[in-house]
Amino acid sequence: MMVFPDDLLYSREHTWARVDGNLVTIGITDYGQDKLGEVLNLDLPEVDTYVEQDEPFGTIESAKTVTELISPVSGDVVRVNDDITEDVGIINSDPYDTGWLIVVEVKDASELDNLLDSTEYNDYVLGEEGLD
Amino acid sequence: MKDWRIIPYGTFSAFENMAMDEAVFRGNQQGTSPPTLRFYDWQPSAVSLGYFQVLEAEINVSYCRENNIDIVRRPTGGKAVFHEDDLTYSLVSRENIPPFSPGILGTYLIISRCILEGIADLGVRAEMAEESRSSGGEGPASHCFSFPSRYELLADGRKICGSAQTRSNGAFLQHGSLLLRFDPFKALSVVTQNAASEEQASLLKKSVTSLRDHIADPADPAHIAGILTASFEKVLQVQFVEGRLTEEEEAVKDGLLQNKYRTDIWNRSGTVRMNNY
Repeated sequence: MMVFPDDLLYSREHTWARVDGNLVTIGITDYGQDKLGEVLNLDLPEVDTYVEQDEPFGTIESAKTVTELISPVSGDVVRVNDDITEDVGIINSDPYDTGWLIVVEVKDASELDNLLDSTEYNDYVLGEEGLD
Repeated sequence: MKDWRIIPYGTFSAFENMAMDEAVFRGNQQGTSPPTLRFYDWQPSAVSLGYFQVLEAEINVSYCRENNIDIVRRPTGGKAVFHEDDLTYSLVSRENIPPFSPGILGTYLIISRCILEGIADLGVRAEMAEESRSSGGEGPASHCFSFPSRYELLADGRKICGSAQTRSNGAFLQHGSLLLRFDPFKALSVVTQNAASEEQASLLKKSVTSLRDHIADPADPAHIAGILTASFEKVLQVQFVEGRLTEEEEAVKDGLLQNKYRTDIWNRSGTVRMNNY
C-alpha cells in the first residue's frame, strides 16, 4: 500500500515537497522509490546551487539505470542531506522522513500551485498504472 | 506497423559511440527524433565506465594506455564493460510508446526478449535471470559481467549479454553488450590493478560466456546485427527503416564529442552532467 501523506505536495515526476514558509524540503515519493527499486547511487547539488522547477537537480541510480531527479520548485539549495549520500538505501526505507534530499529557498510561492495534493497525486499514480 | 529508425552497423571510437547515442537520446527527449536502434563496434578497443563509477578505483588506467584501449564514461548506469569482441546495441525511445511502459524493469524485460529471440535464431539457448545478484559472483565487483541483473541473459547459467539504461524527460536510452568471444585475462586486466591470475580468470569464466562458447564460428558482427534487428522487429512489432543521424543530431553529437565525451573532466570525474555542455 503506497503512502502519500496529506501534509505534502507532489509533482508528476514523483517528488514530494514539504512547505515551511519559504523553505521547501524535497524528496522522492513512496511510489517513486518503489518504481526505481533499490537505490545504489545518488548525486545531489551543492548548497547555493540554483535549481529550477521541472528541471533536473540531481541523478540517481537503481537497477543499472541513471534517472534524473526533477525539481518540484525553483530556488537556491540551502541544505543537502549529507546523511543520505552515505546510505542511499534510506530513500527506499524512509522516503518521507530521513530520506529527504534537499531544502530549497523558494522565491515564487505561486509555483506551488503547479503541484498536486495527496488525493490528486494518488489519482495521477493510478492513471500512470492504468488503474483509473 | 510503426516505422522506427535503424542506424546501420558501424565501427566508431568510444567517444563517437557515446556522443551519437546521447544525441539520439536528446532528440527523443525533445520529441524530434524517432525511436532508434543501433548496433556498433569500438575502434580502438575500449572500456566503458558506468555513469557513477570512479575511474581510478575501477579501471587500470596504465594498462589501458599501454594497450591503446580508450576509456569513456557512459551516460548509462551499471559497471565497466570491456569492448573487444562484443557487439553493442543502443535502443532509444520515449518511455510511453508501446510496447514500453514507464517502468525500468519492464523495458529491460522487453529488450531482453528481443535479444533472447535473436540469439536463439543463431542457435544459442539463453534464459533471463529471474533476480539480480549484486554479490557472490565469481569476478571483480567493478566488472559488468561478474553479476547478472534481473532479466539479463544467461546461457548455461553464465551471463552473455549485459545492459544498462538512462532515463530523462520521458525518454530512455538502453545500452547492451553481447559477447561474441570472451578473454577473461583481458577483461580482468582493464579492471584490476595487478596482472590477472589463472585463478581469477578461471573464476570469472564461471560467470561469463560468449557466442563462441555455443556456436562453432560466430558470424561476423554485421550479420548478427541483422539477425537481431529482425528479432527486435518481431518482439516490438515495429518495422525498422534504415536511416542516419539528422543534421540536428549530428550537430549535437559534434558538441557532445568536443565538450563531453572527449574530455578528461567527464571521463575521469563525471562532473559534466547530462545537459551541461
